[in-house]
Amino acid sequence: MKWIGAFIAMWYRQVKQFLRAKPRLIGTFLHPIFWLLFFGIGFAGAFREGMSQAIFMGLSYLEFFLPGIAMMGVFTGAFMSGISVIWDKEFGYLKVVLVSPASRKASILGRIIGDSTIVVFQSVVLLLLGYLLVPSMNLINIPLYICIAFLVSISFAGIGVTIATKMQTIEGFQLIVNIITLPLMFLSGIFYPIHVAPDWIQPIILANPLTYGVDAARFVLVGKSYFNILLDIALLGVLSMILIFLTMYQFEKATIG
Amino acid sequence: MEFAIITKDLTKKFGSLTAVDRINIKIRKGEIFGLLGPNGAGKTTTIHMLATILKPSYGTAIVAGHDILKEPNKVREKIGIVFQDMTIDRHLTGYENMWIHGRLYGLRGHELHERIKELLEFVGLWEWKDIEVRKYSGGMIRRLEIARSLLHHPEILFLDEPTLGLDPQTRVHVWDYIMQIRKEKNMTILLTTHYMDEAEKLCDHVAIIDHGKIIAEGTPNELKTIVGNDVICIKVRCSPDKIQIFVEKLEATLDSTFVRFAMGRITLGVKNAPQVIPVIFEIARRMNIRILRLEYSRPTLDDVFLKLTGRRIREEFGSWVDFIRREKMNRFMRR
Ligand SMILES: Nc1ncnc2c1ncn2[C@@H]1O[C@H](COP(=O)(O)OP(=O)(O)OP(=O)(O)O)[C@@H](O)[C@H]1O
Ligand SMILES: [Mg+2]
Repeated sequence: MKWIGAFIAMWYRQVKQFLRAKPRLIGTFLHPIFWLLFFGIGFAGAFREGMSQAIFMGLSYLEFFLPGIAMMGVFTGAFMSGISVIWDKEFGYLKVVLVSPASRKASILGRIIGDSTIVVFQSVVLLLLGYLLVPSMNLINIPLYICIAFLVSISFAGIGVTIATKMQTIEGFQLIVNIITLPLMFLSGIFYPIHVAPDWIQPIILANPLTYGVDAARFVLVGKSYFNILLDIALLGVLSMILIFLTMYQFEKATIG
Repeated sequence: MEFAIITKDLTKKFGSLTAVDRINIKIRKGEIFGLLGPNGAGKTTTIHMLATILKPSYGTAIVAGHDILKEPNKVREKIGIVFQDMTIDRHLTGYENMWIHGRLYGLRGHELHERIKELLEFVGLWEWKDIEVRKYSGGMIRRLEIARSLLHHPEILFLDEPTLGLDPQTRVHVWDYIMQIRKEKNMTILLTTHYMDEAEKLCDHVAIIDHGKIIAEGTPNELKTIVGNDVICIKVRCSPDKIQIFVEKLEATLDSTFVRFAMGRITLGVKNAPQVIPVIFEIARRMNIRILRLEYSRPTLDDVFLKLTGRRIREEFGSWVDFIRREKMNRFMRR
């Protein structure tokens, strides 16, 4: 049970550090809120009563958009969490972890779950605020939403951390993240229903794990989805398991120099 | 076992550069061993290999009874380390930094709390425990790092340039803690430095390293005999013929390499000035000669380095390399 200590240490470190860094805290909170308010409300106004229902699976645009934007926060936040690995590499904290007898697998797992805790928590707060705009949301299903969000977060944090252990600079990491994030974000059914996209884009949408996270979140929160919720969850579950093991394995091998 | 660390042809190559070149050192249990050398000599590389975070290209080492290649985890349990660069979380408090580190090493609960308290009190930071580290001074951060490295009762402590970039007063403070650790906790300490005075003041044994090679090893005093003797200079007041007798007497009594008398001053070269000085006073007293003034100078480790390599370890105190490093550190601290 020795690995528990390393897991808790790193989990605590991620969460504590995040809560301390006020500007980042506020920034990551505000970002999805702005999307919801200034994009969501504006866009909702573009569709007259009844018109949006025809396009957005029988939902108003805000009903459609809210679960998606919550997932977007989870996705981008989790992806960016790799930054702290590079940060630690640059400022030496990684050495502190590597020089300890603690399980490296447990420490990186603690880190990923720590980051996931934060981004999932933030997205729940966003949902609660969003409830004011979308009173038809199923609040009772929030625990289910949390599970789904965790699977998505773990998957993408795993990808982020794996990329980060290979990268030398924060700029390089940011470049890669930017290149990957935007297509994945726009091709996931967050902003528009996936069936309206042209055929040649469909494979990308279907290959994008985020698509299933958004679909599942939409199902539990506002009751509409393309795929069977069980399929969504099974896919996300398998993916997150694979990614987390890959990440742990890859980090285990990491030594400096 | 008598030795805490034994290296066997320890070597590290970075591409075509041999950063550490077949190092063979033995460090006794309970001593402070200094690795003294200029920038880029290979000190940090050596420490990183001994601490199991860098794989040697060739050779190995036994640290605390375990081979660094075969049983790295056993080694990790028994060593504590303060890295050259700061590795503290600046947005966490001193206590939180200690707590996270303790959990990483498997400590917990009341035991961990008591240990943190003991160590923070030891380095005088208990009152600061709930303050974010970014508000600490450089010296306080160093002390916190030292306290953190002691949490799990390591047998061996590695200190990589523990006083780099600190002002002279703070350096003396940190030295005090290091001496105290050795005395109270009976720990073996391997420290690297490029300050001669630090090596002289703290270390029982010193190895001088240059371009990855150990070029000399011994106690600071032994090393100085490589350069030569202590020089004693005496000024006396009495008649010239009496001085002549005094000089002859000194020559006959002392094991000196030379004795010279010129311009009212006697200069003599001896092996160990502190031992000889009382004898000189005794002879003078018996002959009823008054010594007005007596000075002696010893060679420094820098002289040793100069003699061995033809270069000085560092040009002067506060060179540009130090300046750049401190700038780097400041940049880090401002984040
Ligand atoms: N990861 C690395 N890749 C390539 N070269 C390296 C690496 N780490 C160190 N070196 C080189 O190895 C040599 C020894 O470096 P090291 O850091 O061990 O020196 P040092 O004695 O600790 O010096 P300093 O006083 O600057 O800390 C230097 O020439 C350095 O440039
Ligand atoms: Mg160094």
